[in-house]
Amino acid sequence: MAILQTKNLSKVYNPDTVPVHALRDVSITIDKGEFTSIVGPSGSGKTTLLNMLGGLDKPTSGSVWVNGEEITSMKESKLIDFRLHNIGFVFQHYNLIPVFTAHENVSFIMLLQNRSKKEIRERADDLLEQVGLGDRKNARPVQMSGGQQQRVAVARALASEPKFILADEPTANLDSTSAMNLLDIMNKMNREQNVTFVFSTHDQRVIDRARRVITMVDGAIHKDEYRDVEETAEN
Amino acid sequence: MKIYLKLAWRNIWRNKRRTIITVSAIIFAVMLAIILQSVNRGSYEVMIDRMVSFNTGYVQIQDMRYDEESSLDNSFWYDEELRDRILNADLRIERMAPRIETFMLAANHTSTRGSVVFGKNPQKEKKFNDFENYLSEGRLFEMNEQSVVLARGLAERLQLGVADTLVLIGQGRFGMSASGLFEIVGILDHPVRQLNNNGVFMALDTAQHLLSAEGYITGLMIAPVHERQTNSVASSLKEELKDEELAVYTWPELIPELLELMEMDLATPRLLTVVLYVVIGFGFLGTILTMTLERLREFGVLLSVGMQRFKLSAVLFIETIFISIIGVLAGIAVAWLILVLIDPIYLTGEAAQAVIDMGFDPVIPMSFAADQFYRQGFFVFLVAVAVFMFPLIKISRLNILDAARS
Repeated sequence: MAILQTKNLSKVYNPDTVPVHALRDVSITIDKGEFTSIVGPSGSGKTTLLNMLGGLDKPTSGSVWVNGEEITSMKESKLIDFRLHNIGFVFQHYNLIPVFTAHENVSFIMLLQNRSKKEIRERADDLLEQVGLGDRKNARPVQMSGGQQQRVAVARALASEPKFILADEPTANLDSTSAMNLLDIMNKMNREQNVTFVFSTHDQRVIDRARRVITMVDGAIHKDEYRDVEETAEN
Repeated sequence: MKIYLKLAWRNIWRNKRRTIITVSAIIFAVMLAIILQSVNRGSYEVMIDRMVSFNTGYVQIQDMRYDEESSLDNSFWYDEELRDRILNADLRIERMAPRIETFMLAANHTSTRGSVVFGKNPQKEKKFNDFENYLSEGRLFEMNEQSVVLARGLAERLQLGVADTLVLIGQGRFGMSASGLFEIVGILDHPVRQLNNNGVFMALDTAQHLLSAEGYITGLMIAPVHERQTNSVASSLKEELKDEELAVYTWPELIPELLELMEMDLATPRLLTVVLYVVIGFGFLGTILTMTLERLREFGVLLSVGMQRFKLSAVLFIETIFISIIGVLAGIAVAWLILVLIDPIYLTGEAAQAVIDMGFDPVIPMSFAADQFYRQGFFVFLVAVAVFMFPLIKISRLNILDAARS
């Protein structure tokens, strides 16, 4: 079942001066439970595409559909609310709220959703356990390693029970062990809970784990391949 | 809401030193503003308090023509029925004292002076002021007694003392001749300078008889339970007496010139306060500006993950208010402490003598009027609102992607 779809998505920066075609007629469909990497060289348009999928940027033409709802024409306040309930974000620089503890960072999204205190507390505890940080829930970002912060970011992204999670270069700032650890967690969530992940990445370790790899070149889809990850890993 | 308060509170302490400096600046401004005004207002409050308690009352009822022509012809009938009506008009009325007042010539055997004769009920007057405590010689008159208490200044001018006889000559109600001989039973150092120079005080019924105005008074002094009830009590009385030829005044309406004088004297400290707040406001703006600009990326992320702009603005507003509240409360506390410690400032030497000559104690009392404290809070709140415009505009125009990249 398609939960994310783009139709003839194009983005042109500086259309009146020096036009830069960041996206050219991109049409993709992502189904629930996919573990997809968007790859390509710098400037290929993968971050622009990710921003479009997350409703953070407006296309010049074309449309983005999430769970059957077109988000490109939504007004900003509705779009913010839509993101809150439907899209999870994991950023390259973690971007946790520095004055909140790990538990509060995860809880905050649910508070914005006006969930009950009991549900928020239990779900935040559960998510931090799932990412292996049950014993660090009272630590603030500055007291955690980059890997731990990114795991909190994953827990935060999952907290709102989104339709899918967009992760922009999630391992770019992590050491090898932390990156593998993070990928293990996301992979496990994908397989066991059917959580949909869409990455933009340069990291071969992420690409190796992806069951679908969309390669972009000059703003257009160059290749879109599905793979059997376990076979790839074994090979 | 709790989470926004928590977020705002922690945000302001991200950079402790910066917040402490900003809060200190607000404390300094609030403290200085309060002390400046307190010193200036203290002396006026003593004057006003004396005028209200000795002369006008918090509320005063007069004949509607008396304000234009302060003549006995414009006195009004005051009996038990009117008294009960007034008392029942507002249950917050605590005390009332009827008076009759007129100009007369006061004379000894060789000279004459202009004087203001007051007919008072000593028992009721006691509830308004400590009139009796200002007696420096003799005793207070009693009702139905053909005696007077003379203000010190007038007594000295007429060279009269206790047990001497005072001649009063004047005009009673509707042109009736009014004159009489009165035994001086006491000399009073009246705290209101003008009255100390020309005041003659006698029993209300004695004065009414002298002035052919039995049953009539020129003013009814009224005091509510609390001073703050003055206006509402006056409103109730105006409503009750709207069909009568009576006028109800509050004390500021009766002594506007004193209030105007105070306002003029307060203009300088107020101007200084405005300048102070403008300077502090720029410092405050600097802090909020930095707190905003250094967190643009964080704001971008919060908008990305689903926080509405107005909620983000609310957090910034709470941060601004938190800094203001800490500064204002601490500033008020420090100012209060300083005022308590220095109140009153004792004058010495020539300055002290000059003040004594004017009929006041040789001290500069501090004012502890509540409004000068909470007004500072209001001004700082206005500054905070003005300062908050920057983050408000910044957040409303924030481009999520640009912010996230910053």
